[in-house]
Amino acid sequence: MITLAQRLKKQQEESSNGHNRISIRDRLLVKESQELAQLLPPNCTVEYENENDLSNFTLIIKPTEGYWENGIFKFSIYVTDEYNMVPPKVKCLTKLWHPNISETGEICLSLLRQHSMDGLGWSPTRRLKDVVWGLHALFTDLLNFEDPLNIEAADMYKHSKLEFQIKVEEYVKLFAKN
Amino acid sequence: MSENSRMDENDNDKKEVSQEKMFTLKKWNAVAMWSWDVECDTCAICRVQVMDACLRCQAESKKDFYGKQDCVVVWGECNHSFHYCCMSLWVKQNNRCPLCQQEWSIQRMGK
Repeated sequence: MITLAQRLKKQQEESSNGHNRISIRDRLLVKESQELAQLLPPNCTVEYENENDLSNFTLIIKPTEGYWENGIFKFSIYVTDEYNMVPPKVKCLTKLWHPNISETGEICLSLLRQHSMDGLGWSPTRRLKDVVWGLHALFTDLLNFEDPLNIEAADMYKHSKLEFQIKVEEYVKLFAKN
Repeated sequence: MSENSRMDENDNDKKEVSQEKMFTLKKWNAVAMWSWDVECDTCAICRVQVMDACLRCQAESKKDFYGKQDCVVVWGECNHSFHYCCMSLWVKQNNRCPLCQQEWSIQRMGK
């Protein structure tokens, strides 16, 4: 955090000399990344590849209950320059069998939708911690078989919960272990 | 505390006052707190007080020194307030109040 503060100060100096403008995103991220660290769900961790770049990080979720229990699921989160007018870009890096996450890593989570006419989509009042808690809840409360992205997974669940569970566990063993 | 002990203390007080002043107040500073009388005093978009310049204008005013005057507050029909700069960026993609999701229409603007 100290190096970040120094970096921001340097940026500020540069911009006052008219070199470049400070990104609003970076200013918001300083506060939000601290808030996120304090309010992280208990079974989640955040890793920054470059500690001077708060806009790019990996979220690691280890569900302690439910179908995906004991798996280790990684998500890449990229906060674009237009933040907070647009949601962060999130991709699931771990292959998994889940009705709301495709095998290629696309995620169906309402608050990550940029344009939505209901109150559930992205809004600039939302924060990174809401995104992280939302992703975390995809393994529990927000798990939704009614509006699936991976239709095959949802159909399998409706047809046979046991078959679904076996496939989930098979994927966890293959892809979601250390 | 019993009735007796309280009376004892009062007696002691009287004695001390009559003998010599223990403390004299030489200087004091009054501290007052205030806040704007509005329902929501922080812009939910940039998270800066609505009466201050928004995050964007603060960043830019360092260059051109007029950011603050130009950054006005806008109130919607829903009574939620934001910086005009922040809200005008948001309504481009979604014409709803980010706080209550009502259709956004401006009630008034100013400081």
